Amino acid sequence: MTRRDLSMMNMTSTLVLTLSLLAPAVSAAGEAASADEAPALRGGLCSVEGLLAKIRRGMGSKSEAYKRYLRALLRESAVLLPASELKAAFEREYDPVMVEHLAAALVARTERGLEPEAMEAVAQRALADRDPSVRAATIRAMRRTGALERTGNMYERLVRDPSPEVRKEAATNLVEDNLNVYGGRDARAADTAVAAAAASSDPQVTAQILGKIMTGEVGAESVRKIQQLLSSDSAEVRAAATTALGGVPAAEMASARESLLGMYRGERDPGVRKAMLESIARLGFSSAVPELQRLRSVDPSLAPEIDAWIRVLNMNLQEWSLILREKQRLQQAR
Amino acid sequence: MTAKSGPLVEAMKADPSHRPVSSSETSPGRPRPLGRVFAALGGAAALILGVALISSGSAEAEGQGEPREAATPGAQLTDAARKAGASEHTGQGGVEQEPPKAPRFSNTTCWEELERFNDTVTLETFRSWSAPLLGVKDPLVREYLKERLAELIGNDEGRASEVLGWAREASPAEFKLLMAGLRGSEAMGKPKVAAQLTSLGLDERLDIGRRAGFLDELKGLPRLEPAALEKLAHFAKDPASGEAGWVTTRAIGQVMKEDFQKTGNVKPYLDKLFTIAAESPDEPVRYLALEMEMHADAPLDAQATERLAKILSTEGSENIRQVAAHDLSLAQDKAQALEIYAKAFEAEQNLCVRWALFRFAARAAGKDALPVMANMAMTDSRFQGNYQDFERLYASGIVDFDRIWFSLPTQDPHGCLDPGH
Repeated sequence: MTRRDLSMMNMTSTLVLTLSLLAPAVSAAGEAASADEAPALRGGLCSVEGLLAKIRRGMGSKSEAYKRYLRALLRESAVLLPASELKAAFEREYDPVMVEHLAAALVARTERGLEPEAMEAVAQRALADRDPSVRAATIRAMRRTGALERTGNMYERLVRDPSPEVRKEAATNLVEDNLNVYGGRDARAADTAVAAAAASSDPQVTAQILGKIMTGEVGAESVRKIQQLLSSDSAEVRAAATTALGGVPAAEMASARESLLGMYRGERDPGVRKAMLESIARLGFSSAVPELQRLRSVDPSLAPEIDAWIRVLNMNLQEWSLILREKQRLQQAR
Repeated sequence: MTAKSGPLVEAMKADPSHRPVSSSETSPGRPRPLGRVFAALGGAAALILGVALISSGSAEAEGQGEPREAATPGAQLTDAARKAGASEHTGQGGVEQEPPKAPRFSNTTCWEELERFNDTVTLETFRSWSAPLLGVKDPLVREYLKERLAELIGNDEGRASEVLGWAREASPAEFKLLMAGLRGSEAMGKPKVAAQLTSLGLDERLDIGRRAGFLDELKGLPRLEPAALEKLAHFAKDPASGEAGWVTTRAIGQVMKEDFQKTGNVKPYLDKLFTIAAESPDEPVRYLALEMEMHADAPLDAQATERLAKILSTEGSENIRQVAAHDLSLAQDKAQALEIYAKAFEAEQNLCVRWALFRFAARAAGKDALPVMANMAMTDSRFQGNYQDFERLYASGIVDFDRIWFSLPTQDPHGCLDPGH
């Protein structure tokens, strides 16, 4: 059975199952329904044209619930609608809001086992559309999906886009995918994010990625890239690289610790130093206490911060999430 | 009684291998394509998660009884799921392979006049207008109705109260919609709503199933006042409460987690949960009462630690002793915890409970637990390999128990995940 046959079968079954549910008060045919008259809710087939018309009108609704519903309806209907119609609608659309909806529908087709070309069309537009708002919209449509598995070096190119909005959306995808699609435990997702962070010349983008992803599965090459970024001119990049180093795999922990301890004395930015203290704590838990004590004299203004870490690490908690939580509680109590 | 935790699985839920789904480093409560998380976690962890999903255990105890995935047709069909499905058809030894099956998707429905419904519906008309959609098999429109009702309730206590009034006599399908709308509304945390929910849940004139429905919603409250907590805990441990006692225990635990995260307040809840764990005659309720501490990860003072020690030495259920072993790893006094682990291990006969005591000693005290674990391995030679694994990993410089756990050759060395064990 071809996909077309299957699609026809689905459409037929939808027709058979089409519901006609009349609410208690049905408006008379041809008369405009008044606001207090119950709508005649009839279930029927969805079409590309009909859905797009609903979405265009619905985007002006004051109800976020309705807008979410329309987004979900198009995404879930995407696999049942004719691919060529969807793709044609996507290609002729220039309103970023509608582009995002249609791109999400195409991405959903590929994600759910239909043609890979659907997502490729979206990726192509993210890279090449002339309008930065459209490029940004198509990137958002790939968020929280497995797009990074199918799009080669797309993210390394996107983080070098001339538009800051586009670069930021690409960084957001990498972070959200790393954390929410792959649970922070996928080497490919982590390495893709690090590669993009290192490829970008926008300090905000590099910092946004490295400061938020989980790096427990990165490869040795990624660790070297992060270590190089410790020498960046941008304090926010150095702080984010420091944070990223705190979570590297066991085999890289000693090297990460040495890098941080080596650079602490030469670092002048208090924010970066604070991040370094946190990563040193994370890499060593209670065994980091002697090192932290030695760093106490380097910058007296950070002595209270070091003391707070020492106090929490001495609780001998065995998971970083528990240590962080106690540190936050300690700060709130101050 | 339904909606119970799968005890054996829940004991495994105690391990950090479950964290990726609810970790503070991820986005709690947000829907996630579990298929990819499975793939990311690797075989053993996926096994644990997979069993957890099948058993309808921890996700429910965590209050995720209606995950958005379930409300989204076809959303389960991730790459990993497809690969898993395809492997079933892989031919072996020259058997002809079946061609891959085309994916099948649920139909969607486009509703005429839903736009007008959305634009003109009010709280007053919502019930009658939404009635025709209550029985339809369209999860998208059901989700929309819940969210639209939440918008109509807004932050208004009076409106929330009116919806609660409807819910007393509503049909089961409408009750579910009304409660979901209330749960999603800003008014949910208001004191008047909390008081009315508690009162309805404890109203003996109502059907026990309906009361359970009201009590279940208490889990969305930011805190429970002492008087309400007292009444609810008393109700939860009463054997006559049945299912309603179970959902009440879960609600107490979930409010504890929320209140602890926001204000640090945990002791009153923990006291009640440990009382339920010690006194309820209903094993699933006792189990759940301890499991809720597992989700909150609240630190235990000396008194709470001693109560757990007593449960470990007197509880007849092996599954509950395993959860108690997990909870004990949160003891603030590590020496006290290690002493309890050592004594409990000596007295314990069950292999899976011993494995829980062994590994959670490491979660309690890290490499400081190694001497106690070495003694355990001397007592029971089946743990010698496990001891060597932990010793090697700590010697490699890993300090986080989460990482230790994922670095073990297997997370189930003693076959404790086998439900038939």
